[in-house]
Amino acid sequence: MKPKVAFFDFTSCEGCQLDVLNLTGEELLDLLAAVDIVNFREAISRRDEDYDIAFIEGSISRDSEIPRLQKIRSQAKILVALGACACIGGVNCLKNHLTMNEALKIVYGDDAKQFDTIPARPINAVVPVDAYVRGCPAQTGELVKLVKALLLGKKPETPSYPVCTECKMAGNICVYELGKTCIGPVTRAGCGAICVTGGRQCWGCRGLVDEPNINSQEEILKKYGLTPAQVIEKFKIYNTYSEVKK
Amino acid sequence: MKTNSVLVVDDEAIVRESIRDWLKESGYDVAIAESAEEALKMVAKKEYNVLVLDVRLPGKSGLTALKEIKAQYPGVKAIIITAYPSEETTAEAHKLGALEVMVKPVAPEDLEKLINEAVETIGKEEAAAKKTARKAISAKKSFVISKRSFRTLVENLIKNMEVVGVKSKKSKFVFDRISNFDELKMDYDVTVIPPTKYLFPAKETILKFDLTDFKKSAPVLDTAPRAIIGVHPYDINAIQMLDEAFITANPDPNYIARRQNSIIIGVDVLNPSPKAFSPSMGTNVAETGFDLLLTDIGDTYMVTIGSQKGADLLKQVQVIEPTTDDIARQKMVRDEAIGKYQLSLDFPRERLPKLLEDAYDDPYWAERASTCLSCGSCVMVCPTCFCFDVQDDVALNLKGGERSRLWDGCMLVDFARVAGGENFRHDKTSRFHHRMYRKGKYVLERYGRMGCVGCGRCGIACLAEIASPVEAFNAIAESARAKQLALRATEAVRPEIELYTPMQAEIVRVENLAAKEKVFEIKLMGGKTLGQKPGQFVELSLFGMGEAPFGVASSPTRHGTFEIAVRNVGSLTNVSHNLKKGETVGIRGPFGNGFPLKQFEGKDLLLVAGGTGIFPMRSLIQYVLDNRKLYGRVIVLYGARGPAERLFTDDLESWKNNPDLEFQETVDRGDANWKGNVGVITTLIPKVQLDPKKTVAVIVGPPIMYRFVIVELKKRDIADENVIMSLERRMKCGVGKCGHCQMNGLYVCQEGPVFSLAQLRTVREAV
Repeated sequence: MKPKVAFFDFTSCEGCQLDVLNLTGEELLDLLAAVDIVNFREAISRRDEDYDIAFIEGSISRDSEIPRLQKIRSQAKILVALGACACIGGVNCLKNHLTMNEALKIVYGDDAKQFDTIPARPINAVVPVDAYVRGCPAQTGELVKLVKALLLGKKPETPSYPVCTECKMAGNICVYELGKTCIGPVTRAGCGAICVTGGRQCWGCRGLVDEPNINSQEEILKKYGLTPAQVIEKFKIYNTYSEVKK
Repeated sequence: MKTNSVLVVDDEAIVRESIRDWLKESGYDVAIAESAEEALKMVAKKEYNVLVLDVRLPGKSGLTALKEIKAQYPGVKAIIITAYPSEETTAEAHKLGALEVMVKPVAPEDLEKLINEAVETIGKEEAAAKKTARKAISAKKSFVISKRSFRTLVENLIKNMEVVGVKSKKSKFVFDRISNFDELKMDYDVTVIPPTKYLFPAKETILKFDLTDFKKSAPVLDTAPRAIIGVHPYDINAIQMLDEAFITANPDPNYIARRQNSIIIGVDVLNPSPKAFSPSMGTNVAETGFDLLLTDIGDTYMVTIGSQKGADLLKQVQVIEPTTDDIARQKMVRDEAIGKYQLSLDFPRERLPKLLEDAYDDPYWAERASTCLSCGSCVMVCPTCFCFDVQDDVALNLKGGERSRLWDGCMLVDFARVAGGENFRHDKTSRFHHRMYRKGKYVLERYGRMGCVGCGRCGIACLAEIASPVEAFNAIAESARAKQLALRATEAVRPEIELYTPMQAEIVRVENLAAKEKVFEIKLMGGKTLGQKPGQFVELSLFGMGEAPFGVASSPTRHGTFEIAVRNVGSLTNVSHNLKKGETVGIRGPFGNGFPLKQFEGKDLLLVAGGTGIFPMRSLIQYVLDNRKLYGRVIVLYGARGPAERLFTDDLESWKNNPDLEFQETVDRGDANWKGNVGVITTLIPKVQLDPKKTVAVIVGPPIMYRFVIVELKKRDIADENVIMSLERRMKCGVGKCGHCQMNGLYVCQEGPVFSLAQLRTVREAV
C-alpha cells in the first residue's frame, strides 16, 4: 500500500511546489511509483481529503489560515514544512517590521479594510511539524530523500553544520575572499552551497543552525565593511522570524 | 657539456684582452669583465668553468667576487693573478678554493697549462658524479629537465590518463582536471582545497548494496590511473601522514586504490602563501612521498626521482646530469623561498607535544573559541584531516543503494554526538581544543608524523581568524614563557625558608605489627595537624641518620595524630625501630597527590593491597569507611606472604566483620593454624563479582604484584583510567627538586605517587 501524499499552499509564491514538478521525468516517475499523490492543486485535479503525508508550502499570515492548517494537521500522519516560508517564515516575515495597518496600506492602498492580516510566522508556530524540507525554493533533492527516509521508516536527517562545510566540500572560493559577504557560516547546510557554487552568496534561506554564533558572524560582517544596518539587512531577508524571537 | 668556458676579470684592458686572445687561439670560449660587479652579473647569466681573477679591482676585490661566486657555484675553478703578491693574499685565495695564485705579468703558456688542468678536473668530477648516478637511478637521484621536456612529459600523461593539476580560478588557485599543458600553474602559492581530495574525496561511494539480496553487496573502488601535478612539499608531507592513518593497522581499500593508482609530481614552493609556516613544521621539503619532485631553477627544472614509477616516467623524455651549478642554484632558490615565509613557530617544534600537554587547561582555548562559528572550514581545507561520516542512500524503489563516506570534522557541532543524544565534545572550546591537540600532539604521537604541515589554508579559510595552529601554538608558548618568567623573577620570590626543615613531632605510641614491622603514632608539636590526604607521604627525619619517605597509614578523618608504619629494612628504619614513646622525630610533608578521591565518588571500589601496601591502603580504607555513603560497593583484597606476616591484624579482623566492606584475604603459603585462602593475591580477583563500568581499582604493593594484578584487571575489562596505583620511588626531597624519584618526564613526588594506569602507559620506567 503506497502512502498517500498531499500538497497544500498557504502564504507563498508556490514556487516550491512548482519545483517539485521540475524534477526530471525519471525522478517524477520514480516518485509516483513510490507514493500516491492524492491532492496537489498546482498539478492535478484530484482533491482527496484522505492522506498520510502532507507537504505544506507557505507561512501563516492570516487568521483564516490557522484553522485550515489545524485541520490538515489532524488528518495527516506526517506533516512536512516545504520551503523557507513554511520552515522559518521566510520573506513574508519582512512585513513584521511594520505595523499590520502600515503593511495593509502599502499593499492594498485604499482597499486595505477588506483584508485581514497578522504578523507572518512559520507553520511550526501554529501546529507541530514532523519534518522540514528547507530552502527557497525547497530542495527537491531533499524532498526525495525525505520520502525515501519515510518509506524506510527512518528519521529524516538534515545536516546540523552550516553552509561553509558544504561550500568547502564543493571546492568553492570563499565569497569573503572575493570581496563579498554572506551568512553561510550560521546557515544550516543541506543545499550543497548551491548559491555560492553558482557564483552568488548565501542569504540564509535554510534558516540558522541550532547553535549559531550570531555575535561572531556580526563582528565578521562589520570587519568586512558592513554597517550595523547592513548587518541587520543580511539576517532580515529570510530570518526575521527567528531573529525577532531571539 | 662544454667545460672550457673561461671568464677573465682584470681592470687593465691590455691584460684581460691579451689573455682572452691567447686562450681563444687555443680553442677556449672566453669572456672578459673589468670589475668584480660585472663578473658577478655575467656569472649569474651563464655558466663559466674557470675564472681568471685579478685581486685589485675598482669596487669589490677579486677575492670577494670569488667568495660570492663559490658560494653559489661551488664547482667553479679559479686562478688568481696579482701584481702585488703577499702571503695573506695567497693564503686567502687558497682558503677560498683558488687553484693557484700567479704573479703578474703572467706567462700565457703557464696560465693555459693551469686552465687545462682545471678543465680536466672538472671533467673527472662530472664523470664521477654520472657514474654514481647510474648506480642509484631510482633512489633520490636528481636530473635537469628542460621546461620543454616537462611539457612533453605532461602532454604524454594527458594522452594516457586523467591529469589533475593547479589552475587559476578567479584570483585563487585550485587543483582541477587539466586537458591542456598551458592551464597548469607551477608557481602558485597555495590552493583552496588540498590535492589530498584525489586520495580521499569529499564524497566517495564505498560499497553498493541490494536490499533484496544481501550477497549482491560489494565494495566500490576507484582504480582509475591519475596524475597529480604540482603538489607542494607540505602537501606531500600531508599525504605521507594520510598514508600512516589509512594504511597502517586496517589497510583502507578506497584510499589505497587511489594512492596506488596516482602519480604524484611535486614542485618546490618558491612563493609561499602569506599564511604558511611549513619550514617551522619541517614540511617545506619532501624527501619521499612523491614520484617526481621539480624545482624551478630558472630556465630549467631540477627533477628528483622519488620512486621507480617516477624513474620510468623520466625515461620518456630527455634529461641531463645536473652540473654543480644546477645543484647550487637549486639550493639557492630553496633557501630564498625559506626567507619569504611570514609566519613561524617561536620555538622548536619538538617541544610542541609537551607544551600542549602542559597547556591543557590554559584559558587561551576558551578565549579564542568564543568567536568560533563551528563552520568546519578549517577542517574541510586541511590536508591532514581525514575524519569521515558514513551515510546510506537508496533508490526510490527501495531496492538498490549505496553507502558513501563524506568528509566530517571534529569542529562540527554533532561530530561527537552519540546514541541517546549525548555529545562528548558539546562546546566550542572542547572542539577547538581537540583540533589544536590533534594538529600538534595527538596525530604526531599516534602516527609519528606532524598533524599540521603549515600550509596555512585554515588560516585563510577561518573568517573568525582563530584557526591557524601557528598562532595558537605561539600563544601557548608565550603563556608558558610568561609563567616561567614569573617563577624566575628571583628578586620577587619569597623563599620558603623551612622547605627542608622538619617539623618537630613526638612519638605517642609504638606497636609491633609483625616481626619486622612496627606502627608509630605521631603527633606534631604546637598543636599542628598534618592534614594529609590518603595516599600522601611524609619524610621521617632523624637528625644524624637522615630522612626517608613513608606513606601515611591513617586517614585524615581520624584527628589529631597520624600513623606511619615502618618495615625494618635499612639503617634509618633500623634506628627508627628503636624509637620509644615520647621520643622526638622530624616530619616534613605531607607530599604527593594522594588518591583521586573525587574520581572514586559514586563508584564501586576494588582495593587490592599486598604486603606493606596495606600501609597507605589502610589510610584509604579508613577514609572510605568514614565517608561510606559516597561510594558504592567497597571490596578489599589483601595478600600477605604467610599468616605471620599479616599486618594490622586487628584491622583485618574488624574489616572482615564490617558489613560496609567485602573483605577477602589470602596468604602465599599457609601454616598449620591457617584456615583461610592460600595462593597469591591474583587468585582472589576472578572470584570477585564486579561491574567493570562502575569499578575503580586501587593497587598498592610490591612491583611484581602490579604486573600480575593489572593482567587480571584487564581480563575484567576495567579501563586503564580506572586502575589506580601508588608507586614507591626513592623520594628524597619530596618537593620536586632532588631528581631521585623521576620516571621519564614525571616526578613521582609531584605528579604522584598515585597514578592511573592510563597516565603510566607511556612512562616506560614505571611498571
